Amino acid sequence: MELSESVQKGLQSLGDQTVLDRCSFPVVVDACFRSLLFSRGDPAVLDLPELKHLDKILLKQIHAAATTFILEAVKHNADKSTISFSLEELTFNTERVETFYTTLKFHFWATLILFVMSSSIGRGPAHIKDVSWRLQYQMKNGQLDKVNEPFYLISLMLFYCTSAFARLQDLVGKLKDAAKSVEKASQV
Amino acid sequence: MLLVLTEEHREHLSMLPQVEPSVVGEFGRIALEFLRRGTSPKIYEGAARKLGVSVEAVQQGVEGLMFLLMESSKHTISEVDFMDSVLILGFGEELNQVLLQLYQDNQVQIRRILSQLIPSQPAFHQLEWRLDVQLASRSLRQRLVPTVTMRLMLSENEEGQRSTRVLQTDPSTLLHLISTLEAALAAVKTSHSRRILRNIK
Repeated sequence: MELSESVQKGLQSLGDQTVLDRCSFPVVVDACFRSLLFSRGDPAVLDLPELKHLDKILLKQIHAAATTFILEAVKHNADKSTISFSLEELTFNTERVETFYTTLKFHFWATLILFVMSSSIGRGPAHIKDVSWRLQYQMKNGQLDKVNEPFYLISLMLFYCTSAFARLQDLVGKLKDAAKSVEKASQV
Repeated sequence: MLLVLTEEHREHLSMLPQVEPSVVGEFGRIALEFLRRGTSPKIYEGAARKLGVSVEAVQQGVEGLMFLLMESSKHTISEVDFMDSVLILGFGEELNQVLLQLYQDNQVQIRRILSQLIPSQPAFHQLEWRLDVQLASRSLRQRLVPTVTMRLMLSENEEGQRSTRVLQTDPSTLLHLISTLEAALAAVKTSHSRRILRNIK
């Protein structure tokens, strides 16, 4: 995982035993996870009594670096060895690496939600979620009597389109081709 | 069903027996052209000069003929009903036959022209699809997300104006779409639908 200089510096401070003692370290790590997963940008996330003695600016730098690291780990789907390696390079001792990883696992499900949220970022064409239909029988209209034709009104999310019977079969046929191709591709 | 022709309408059509049946055929052709493309006063003037009648009479004759053909096509009245409706006008047998021939030859076309006047909704024209797999994004690496990207082409109106929409769906939603639309297709084959389709004619 590649990390920028400011992130590396922040993480080094996090791992530095002279900056954060054994009691404050887990609190900071937990706060960083919570600010990503639960607190919805709450500015008071670092306002904990255990952290009162720490320099506020340094704490913010550590927080920014740690949250970036967590996002990078989720982005690359990093396993334990990758995370351990990255943290050890930044002078984390074994105990701190273990604490960090344990907190990650503790918030596993929340991290999964973070994963899903990241996956929804990005542009793309409109996504079809569902289709609803109505079958109608047109008997007559303002211009013509004896129309006597069944037709379908199909609603795909945002817009509506009508379809004669034969054309609906055409549409379904094409969708089935697409589905068969997906199935074949998944079996490869 | 019989057509009910108003007094005014009958008056307009009364000039038809005064001319040759071939001329009536010509008027019929003009009437159809006007139905297709709109009226043109110059043609009235030309015809009036050739026949030696007033422009107004020619106009009324052609428009009366247009209306007669339109109403007959709208209700798709049978030959017998058409003849009975026209008999009221008191024309000769030959003229009636010419009118009947005009109606029979052009009924389908006139119905098509009339259907263009109906406000139409977009209708399905074509669907193109493609299977994509997302491998990575800026926020996430090492992904494997299959999506089906589709281009849905709709025809907006009778003139063939097309609109295109690009849509996406995942494989499970695609299967759901297919099963829902197959249920829609099956709905027209139920006994209830068949009964309605059979009996409302």
